Amino acid sequence: MVNFSDLNFIFRFLPVFLVAFYLTPVRFRTWTLLFGSLLFYAVGDLRMFPALLAAVIVNFLFAKAQFGEKSKSLLFFVLAIDAGMLIEFKILGQYVDKSLLPIGISFYIFKMISYQMDVYRGKVEKDASFVDVAAYFCMFPQVVSGPIMRFDKYLENTALREKTSLSQIAESIEDGLRFFVAGLAMKVLLADHLAMLWKDIGTIGYESISTPLAWLGAVTYSLELYFDFWGYSLMAAGIGVMIGFPFITNFDHPYGSGSVSEFYRRWHATLGSWFRDYIYIPLGGSRKGEARTVFNLLVVWLVTGFWHGITLNFIIWGLSLCFLIICERLFVLKRFPAPLSKFVGKVNVLILIPLTWVVFAISDFDMLGTYFSRLFPFTGSGIAVNQGDFLKNIGIYWTVLLPSLILLIPKVYDFWVNRRNRWIFNILWLILFWACIYSLAGAAGNPFMYFKF
Amino acid sequence: MKILKKCPILVGIVVITIALSIVSLIFKDTVYAGYADKYESGDIPLMALALKGATDEIFPWSSTEEEALLPEDTQGPDEGKELTEEESEPEGSEEPLEVVDISGNDISGNDISGNDVSGNSEDITYEFTEVDDDYFTDAVFIGDSRTVGLSEYCEPLDTRATFYAKVSLTIYDVFKKEYIKTDDGKIGLEQALTENQYGKVYIMLGLNEIGTGDNEYFKNAYAEVINKIRELQPDAIIYIQGIMHVAAAKSRVDKNFNNEKINSRNASLAELADNKTIFFIDMNESVDDEEGNLDSTLSSDDVHLKASAYERWHEFLLHNAIVR
Repeated sequence: MVNFSDLNFIFRFLPVFLVAFYLTPVRFRTWTLLFGSLLFYAVGDLRMFPALLAAVIVNFLFAKAQFGEKSKSLLFFVLAIDAGMLIEFKILGQYVDKSLLPIGISFYIFKMISYQMDVYRGKVEKDASFVDVAAYFCMFPQVVSGPIMRFDKYLENTALREKTSLSQIAESIEDGLRFFVAGLAMKVLLADHLAMLWKDIGTIGYESISTPLAWLGAVTYSLELYFDFWGYSLMAAGIGVMIGFPFITNFDHPYGSGSVSEFYRRWHATLGSWFRDYIYIPLGGSRKGEARTVFNLLVVWLVTGFWHGITLNFIIWGLSLCFLIICERLFVLKRFPAPLSKFVGKVNVLILIPLTWVVFAISDFDMLGTYFSRLFPFTGSGIAVNQGDFLKNIGIYWTVLLPSLILLIPKVYDFWVNRRNRWIFNILWLILFWACIYSLAGAAGNPFMYFKF
Repeated sequence: MKILKKCPILVGIVVITIALSIVSLIFKDTVYAGYADKYESGDIPLMALALKGATDEIFPWSSTEEEALLPEDTQGPDEGKELTEEESEPEGSEEPLEVVDISGNDISGNDISGNDVSGNSEDITYEFTEVDDDYFTDAVFIGDSRTVGLSEYCEPLDTRATFYAKVSLTIYDVFKKEYIKTDDGKIGLEQALTENQYGKVYIMLGLNEIGTGDNEYFKNAYAEVINKIRELQPDAIIYIQGIMHVAAAKSRVDKNFNNEKINSRNASLAELADNKTIFFIDMNESVDDEEGNLDSTLSSDDVHLKASAYERWHEFLLHNAIVR
């Protein structure tokens, strides 16, 4: 049920929660949000529920102490607890048993760290109440996979603070629903189907795919990851809107970027800005000279790599992106003539980024090597390769690949956003919703890929 | 009316959900009986019954006598993968037409005499021998996704034999579906086997439907299919191939797709052989690990062979052929 594209979430939890939420008097709504979220989490991961509770209480208490006199040592102490907890569970989950990794820990710990730093920096003005802080950490639209919303955005919620008229409620729910359905369609109709092609390629075995299929696989996996996570983020943001939060942008057409650094400002933006505000800038950012900047970037990307998983491929993934970004910073964007730098930037985004996703996808190092030898076949030949595999798969999957590629064009999505309350889109969205539900009812859905992180 | 104007999508969703729930509730114990347990266990909401039914082409107006629960497809996600019929016309090149009258035609439904090699009419014992690839020029392979894989990644077979294979094919629908692509559209197996004669028929089916019915039910359905093939291909050697195992990781956790079940189905299939014209062969020996599971290094998804591993199956077929 902790999956937004689960029928039980859509038809049981969400409607019941929304009714309960808006029936609760404004004064107690935060409690409804908190209890609903705790219930949601407990259903998903009862065993690790105490870990969440403990982290919430510890972080609330430490932050409360900071509202008086600021203490740097206190801040470091609680940050060490948070980071230690995240690292410990990551290691347990990686080396002992997967089920020991609490659902969403990467995300709720990051929220807690950001809260601690914001309180210390004086960005949270008044002494926040326990229920607000706990609801902020645990709120079910974000607890599992982000977005990593900041506390100031949490405070912007109107439904938790002011009396809302019935028509305001209806408007919020309807608008949130639009984003939710858009995200659901990306996840169910695009990402899940793209996942099948990626899985098929695995079934064949990387040593036996033709080079065109290897490249199609790189594109497919990149698109799958994109629509899986963008879809998830839209659903999460949509549910947020339904209960009065501002829309949180987590993806801002990353593939329209002109460089890798820009790509990562627009891809999973709340994670990127978290790294910027709570690691990169505290380390000095780019203000302490080139050498220090390079070092800071290295730290950020190593941590990003480890955050995704403690396997070699994630480290290589992080380092290769770091390398690309440093190259862009020092040479491409700085020294190259404008047209060339523009061209190289685009190549980086459209060709090198998909290759980095292949590294991201394949955790077995030998298999990764095999895949790259098929991408670049001059390094060796395959076994039992069927040269017709590319056309065969295009024939099967073009109905998913084509719309996915079209949706990469920023204008397409923006066109809808700006006209989303037109009748034609309302009707289309209703159809889209039922198409997703039909597809979900027929097959068992596969959970978001980011759940494992 | 105001609310419809304000939230048309929400209203649309609510109204349709209520309608579907009512339909599901009314037909819960009749047409949708096959899914009702999933609802009752809390796995799916009520309205999903109607949608689940629709994906299996079961509607309120469908007759309840049809199988309510169609075999699930766990084989390959990409349905609609069909193989084109091979161009090459099978020739009866290897039919020496010995005088021996192989009267294997008398298998009738449930009454299959089993493995008694020394049958009542002829005392001829056939032994599996080694052949070369030309043996397969008049062979046809019938099967599910695994046989599709064989056609795609075993060139020596693909260029010689004919493949009537389709992802998620089952023994129950092998004669029902029109799944064989020809120049004039899709045809069923019956038509394909009427229009073309083959010297050998290889069949491997049974994994997709492993959750359906018991061994007896499966065996009877299989026997019917074999009978029909026998009728349509009176001179062909029919090879019943045992169902290929799944890897240990799958076998351990799946209540249906496990090797215990596969082995028991295979034991039933072995009884269908008469060892005169119908033979049972089990290629698992060529792909199993020591524990009798599909060797995990040969499969990425624990169910299908990797492309590079189909050669083992090919080799097995080369070494386990009947020459009469």
